[in-house]
Amino acid sequence: MRALALVTATAALVGCGKSEPPPFRLNMTNVVAKQIAPEHQQAIANILGAMFGSPDEPVALKETGLDQIKLDMAAGPVWSDKVGTKHGLYRRHCVHCHGISGDGRGPTAVILNPYPRDYRPGIFKFKSTYTSAEPTTADLMKTLHEGIPGTAMPSFALLPPDEVAALVEYVKYLSMRGQMETALESHVADELNPGDKFDPANDPAIQKLVMQDLLGPIVEAWGRAKDQVIAPEDASIPQDNRSPQELAASVRAGRDLFYGTRANCVKCHGPTALGDGQQDDYDNWNKATNEFIKATDDKIAQIDSLKADLAKAQGDDATQIRQQIQDAQKEFTERHALVSRLLSPRNAIPRNLREGVFRGGRRPIDVFWRVSSGIPGTPMPASGPAAEGAQGTLTQKEIWQIVDYVHSLPFEPASLPQKRPINSSEVSTGE
Amino acid sequence: MKHFWAVLFLLVPIFGVLAFVLAPYYNHSFPRDISENGRVIDQLFYFILYLTGILFVATEGALFYFMWKYNGRTNREPVKYSHGSHTLEVVWTILPAVTLLFIAIYQMNAWADAKMRKPDVPVTAEITGRQFNWDVRYPGPDGILHTQDDIILVDGEIHFPAGEEVLLSIKAADVLHSFFLPNIRMKQDVVPGMQQYMWFKCREQKAEVDIVCAELCGWGHYKMSGRATFEPRSEFNAWLAKKYAEQQAHRITQATAP
Amino acid sequence: MSTITADSHAHAHGEHAHTGSFLSTYVFSRDHKVIGIQFLFSTLIWFFIGGLLALGVRWQLAYPWSDMPILGRLLFSAQGGQIAPETYTMLFTMHATVMIFLVIIPILAGAFGNFLIPLMIGADDMAFPTLNMLSYWFMWPAFLAFGTSFFIGTGPMSGWTSYPPLSLTIDAQKFWLVGLTCVGISSMMGSVNYLTTIIQMRAPGMTMFRLPMTIWAMFITAVLQAFALPVLTAAGFMQLADLTLGTGFFIPEGWSWNNTLHAAGGGQPLLWQHLFWFYSHPAVYIMILPAMGMVSDIIACFARKPLFGYKPMVYSIAGIAGLGFIVWGHHMFVSGMSPVLGMTFMVATMFIALPSAIKVFNWLGTIWGAKIQFTTPMLFALSFVSMFIIGGLSGIFMAATPVDIFIHDTYFIVAHFHYVLFAGTAMAVFGAIYFWFPKMFGRMMNEKWGKVHFFLTFIFLNGVFYPMHILGWVGFPRRLADPYHYETFRHLLPLNQFMTWCAIAMVCSQSIFAINFFYSIFFGPPAGRNPWHSNTLEWQAPSPPGHGNFDFQPVIYRGPYEYGSPEVDIDYYPQTMPPPQNRPVAAPAH
Repeated sequence: MRALALVTATAALVGCGKSEPPPFRLNMTNVVAKQIAPEHQQAIANILGAMFGSPDEPVALKETGLDQIKLDMAAGPVWSDKVGTKHGLYRRHCVHCHGISGDGRGPTAVILNPYPRDYRPGIFKFKSTYTSAEPTTADLMKTLHEGIPGTAMPSFALLPPDEVAALVEYVKYLSMRGQMETALESHVADELNPGDKFDPANDPAIQKLVMQDLLGPIVEAWGRAKDQVIAPEDASIPQDNRSPQELAASVRAGRDLFYGTRANCVKCHGPTALGDGQQDDYDNWNKATNEFIKATDDKIAQIDSLKADLAKAQGDDATQIRQQIQDAQKEFTERHALVSRLLSPRNAIPRNLREGVFRGGRRPIDVFWRVSSGIPGTPMPASGPAAEGAQGTLTQKEIWQIVDYVHSLPFEPASLPQKRPINSSEVSTGE
Repeated sequence: MKHFWAVLFLLVPIFGVLAFVLAPYYNHSFPRDISENGRVIDQLFYFILYLTGILFVATEGALFYFMWKYNGRTNREPVKYSHGSHTLEVVWTILPAVTLLFIAIYQMNAWADAKMRKPDVPVTAEITGRQFNWDVRYPGPDGILHTQDDIILVDGEIHFPAGEEVLLSIKAADVLHSFFLPNIRMKQDVVPGMQQYMWFKCREQKAEVDIVCAELCGWGHYKMSGRATFEPRSEFNAWLAKKYAEQQAHRITQATAP
Repeated sequence: MSTITADSHAHAHGEHAHTGSFLSTYVFSRDHKVIGIQFLFSTLIWFFIGGLLALGVRWQLAYPWSDMPILGRLLFSAQGGQIAPETYTMLFTMHATVMIFLVIIPILAGAFGNFLIPLMIGADDMAFPTLNMLSYWFMWPAFLAFGTSFFIGTGPMSGWTSYPPLSLTIDAQKFWLVGLTCVGISSMMGSVNYLTTIIQMRAPGMTMFRLPMTIWAMFITAVLQAFALPVLTAAGFMQLADLTLGTGFFIPEGWSWNNTLHAAGGGQPLLWQHLFWFYSHPAVYIMILPAMGMVSDIIACFARKPLFGYKPMVYSIAGIAGLGFIVWGHHMFVSGMSPVLGMTFMVATMFIALPSAIKVFNWLGTIWGAKIQFTTPMLFALSFVSMFIIGGLSGIFMAATPVDIFIHDTYFIVAHFHYVLFAGTAMAVFGAIYFWFPKMFGRMMNEKWGKVHFFLTFIFLNGVFYPMHILGWVGFPRRLADPYHYETFRHLLPLNQFMTWCAIAMVCSQSIFAINFFYSIFFGPPAGRNPWHSNTLEWQAPSPPGHGNFDFQPVIYRGPYEYGSPEVDIDYYPQTMPPPQNRPVAAPAH
């Protein structure tokens, strides 16, 4: 029976250890695609660590304008021994989809369609700003508040406002960190040779470069977002007291645009507006995956052709080609190891416009923003101007006509869609 | 201790009863009831609780007593060589049978009120469960569901008029869900492809309660929370009008501005 | 061991005397005892795995999203050891699956049914030994399929009930369904065998009403399985077809999921629930009736007194089985099934409480006026009675349809079936292992450590499961990875932590059993033929019985419960003992 005590003790030992605090991880597809040397990877991780801290201890650098108190609330492990402190919100609500580094690769991600957002490129789909601008805080709040109907993103409206604010701040933080990482990686890949030192701590010039040239534009873009909101001109906004005839006219104009070549909504959303047009396109995130996979496959072809060259080559040439083969094979091995871990690409399915539920909201202004600035990162293009004062494909008046048309589409129960084309006689005008 | 095991078994009824007696003092019992019909369900629960409680104490008590009295180490009497008693068998068959039949008939009315007697009022709202949210659709100013002026909310904050019969049409968009209002004592699974109704009446003027999903709907089952707010008809109408106006927004308003 | 030497004939293990290699003796054996013990070992291993899965569930409920020991560290070190919600869903799904399909059903029918039926009726083996062997080996595809399913995608995660359409969205469900089907085939082979054996192969004098309760329970369980299982097997194939062939038995028209429209439709998700529960409600009795039978035998033996009301006990088992076929709808009161139907099922359900009550009263009657010997098996058997009272009474709450509206899918249900299946069946199984261990291995288990094991298990199981009633009273729903999202349930966290620590302690105390079990197989004191002075037939055979079981032709003179009979001087009267020559044969009073 002495063995009994032994077994119990062993069981207790195995169970009681703590996991290591999780680190942020580098974007390995980018690192491998850019062939960044291990010492430079380490340097990038060090710089990011110094600027942004770790998932357990985030740093709100003064230059970023982030709020340290909010970050502390959102970061860290869920379970805290300290009584009454709010802690670990991100890991309680978000991490299993969006991942510890905000890369959209949490464990749950693989079963979702569409995949959860990767924050690192700083591209957000549903926002009130111009197509290439960052979203405003209010935009992110709205997404948290309403969720994204039609995806696995639920509403977090029941969280206290301070918790939602903390989470929004943390999303921005992850986004900035990801953009900074990409900037650093591009810099290293473009500017540095293997073996070059990259250590801002001991080199003021590099420090200035990192803080001003790389971080500067990122922070600036986020700061500028609130001035980039697309405000429809009063003149273009439809009157509240339109007569049914006026509304019908607007809907008819919208319908023409919908089927016409300029707006060409019909291409993807289909003649029935059920989202059954072109369905085989990809969004940016999946395109990147596709490209990575294709480049990996290309490596095989490259190695084969190099091998053919080697058979013909002699002397120094042969040595050089052998070196090239070795390099290509190394890259292929690295890429191949990553490919199996990527989320397999999924098509971007155009929205069914006849459910009355839109991912980015159903108010006319929401649909207006969707048409005007598009859905960044997806095949849905911006039809409005790309920036203040620029010329868009459509005028604001025309965008409002499309909004009217979309709102006039008859509802179809999601479970029983009728694949009838909608002719104008079926368009409901509220008469 | 000769009667160690008997005493151990005595702990079962003692702690068993104690747990149910003490739990309400620590708020570990029914959540606050705000409905009309819920009271009947609570009363029925307590009725069964007392009835089974008595049986529980009686049978566990008998078990303890026999274990104590007929402990082989202390009982010097010869065992009772008995193969049973016809009379006793009849008694303890008939008595529980009558009791069970009584419970069955006694509760039928409550069941019919809760699930069979659909009130003759217009549908207040349509609720759709989807992975992982409760969406609600109110009829707009025209009072008809599934028209262009429906008010559709996807944030899980659902309002109902208090003090009157509320009739909900509930559906599922993808998998099974179950619309559960603990404070109303009401629960109904929703099945894709099937239309369900649910009705209740809040007897408080103002209340905010949780909406829970009670049927496994996938990995995010626990995320499907919502909040039901009950308020007087006038406030409810005002809230609905506000939501309608918000839904019509063409401009950047207070609600949409950064 | 492949060659049999002359020496082994002298060895106590008589079965070596028969021809056969190691493989045919111990692995592909057709001897019912070896098959029974194979079932026992396999199921005990799965019992351990199922227990660990339960600890994962409990950990998450006590310390949601914290660093989970072992599992979190193995799989989720990248995010600090906190598990993902789909992992939690998989944990409780597989806990239930393993415990029900790989532990309780096979340990009762497979292990004890196999081992005891021929011995207790005086047969030399089962009617169809090869079929019997196959019934064990068909468990292996099930083990493999369920085992593989852990690693497919996110693992099976639609609950042990596998309700469509959710189950149709999960890849691992295919393997899960294959596993389920194989368990079904195994059970089917077993039940055909048990029915034939019990009807055809009883020893001379063993009339149906001289059968021990264990055999009656196994017999009626086999009837239940034989008639209910085909429905589940068919339903399982239908769901498998929906998953793999693109049929739509359980898919409504125009159903889309994850932004993908499914072509097939026109089916009904509720159909699965009806078919599933048409088997799985009787299965609940498959999981308890044999335990009731074994407990009756153990209690009578250690009360040293005849079983109170033998025939009412038999009739109540038959009553439970009969009613068991018409109550499945009580799992579906709020499922969307017609409420009128709900009322019918409610009445039937109320009445199924009746035979259970009769059984409890008769067990109490058995220990009335007894001389109770508090051995380890007796303690487990008595705790079965005590715990089954709780599990039975809590059933009345959910039979009452209006109350069920509130407690359906809350922890009240979880409390109910754990009191029946763990505090009931599992405790009875422990008792049965302690009781029949001497017959299985020829050696005794350690009594002192057995009692320690009982004491700790008894205390901690109540610590885990009793508070579940309280949780259910608050409306705490099942299967939520983080119930503390809801304001209504936030204050229940401390109680859940208490329960979790009881669960951990309970699982740890099972190591006492494991060590006692394996130590006693090799080093326990030799048992002799009849260590408990029991009446039933198996105790007249050698321990362990050789191939062919009996070294004499058993002839049965009386029922199995003639303890304390005035006819003989000893306090027991084995079924095979001839009546005294100088008196006429007295028919035992029933």
